[in-house]
Amino acid sequence: MASTIVTFELGGREVEVMVKPLMTLQTVLRHQLGATATKEGCRQGGCGSCTVLVDGEPMLSCLLPVEDVAGRRVTTLESLTPAEGLHPIQQAFLDHRAFQCGYCTPGMVMLSKALLDHSPAPSREEIARALTGNICRCTGYQPIVRAVAAAAEMTAGSEGGPVR
Amino acid sequence: MTVRIYVTPSSLPEAIGLLERHGPGLLVMAGGTVAMPLINDGISLPDAVMGLRRAGLDRLEQADGALRIGATATLTQLLNQRAIPMLSEAARSTASWAIRNMGTVGGNLFTPPPGGDVAVALLALDASVTLAGPRGERTMPLADFFTGFLTSQLASDELLVELRVPMPSGSTAYIKFGRKHANTPAVVTVAVHLTWDGDTIARARVALGAVGPHPIRARQAERVLVGTSLDADAIAAAAAAATRECEPFTDAIATDWYRRRMTGLFVGRTLEQLAPGAARRGS
Repeated sequence: MASTIVTFELGGREVEVMVKPLMTLQTVLRHQLGATATKEGCRQGGCGSCTVLVDGEPMLSCLLPVEDVAGRRVTTLESLTPAEGLHPIQQAFLDHRAFQCGYCTPGMVMLSKALLDHSPAPSREEIARALTGNICRCTGYQPIVRAVAAAAEMTAGSEGGPVR
Repeated sequence: MTVRIYVTPSSLPEAIGLLERHGPGLLVMAGGTVAMPLINDGISLPDAVMGLRRAGLDRLEQADGALRIGATATLTQLLNQRAIPMLSEAARSTASWAIRNMGTVGGNLFTPPPGGDVAVALLALDASVTLAGPRGERTMPLADFFTGFLTSQLASDELLVELRVPMPSGSTAYIKFGRKHANTPAVVTVAVHLTWDGDTIARARVALGAVGPHPIRARQAERVLVGTSLDADAIAAAAAAATRECEPFTDAIATDWYRRRMTGLFVGRTLEQLAPGAARRGS
């Protein structure tokens, strides 16, 4: 079983990993790179807790062979979080109590980031539809939808450009 | 799980060559949304896997009166195209955003029921499929492609490379009925494409998903519709025909009994959208 070296961009930094055939991005992030914000939920593509952005688009890292992201730009919650303070989406989740156990939060935040990049002022329906693949078993979703709407308002006035 | 080999060809000839070299044991994967869950769970234990994400088969373009869809074009690409709204609607009703960014149109043909909702729309639109192998390419109607549960005309040394959908004339309608509004397996999916000769139906296509071993045509319902003006009696007769001819199954989503009844109900509702008096939508 030959290992392969794969290079991709993670949070603006080039990383090089040695992987076994078909190893997933999720496994590499968590177990090789120590980037544990990306959660391991169902590993079936059914819960959204492992959502990352690949070239800015949401994908499920549990279904993604890391060899398929060679040369591409991967964004996780680690790379979204500024050195000081919080990203507006994170702040909105905090303000609106949009998490209890927090396990789904990294996936929710990454999906929301992609949504606001595509649609800076989404309707409630747009938010709900976008988040349909991300399961939360604590909040009942309403605080999450409110948080995303608030984050959209927060970023609307400011420069609000994509955070890499 | 120990996959020994993962190959990612960067062209179709390379992919066909790899398939020939590794033989039928090579698991062919595109978006990974069906294969990877089984591999992650140890249900599928392939020795060698081929990933098609880099094989250059993801073009989607309108040419020669048809929409040409590369086999690995994603469901998001299909959702975003404007040429055939019913295909956009079928893509939108499938899975979640992240899954649509990964799952492919070609892969949808190999998704076991109750999945495969996009294929139902493709079937109603008389799509054809192009298969490529060491002996060259061949093209056939999608209606002839499916042969049974997870079986098709695809030979073990061939790859599905393209789908071609003639630009529809007439009117189309699509309803996926599930237990939730979004991101849910179908109880039944109905896609209809009608071509008109004045006020009467000249040609009818009624395709059903989640009520058979693969997406199926409701041919008796189609025959009932041709020559009618899609009045209430014709709709009721077509719904009754589809109820009889569907082949539903029981799973965690619904019983076969429920699926059969919902097939009649939703064939009726889909046709009602196209009936005279209803705002007939262009395709």
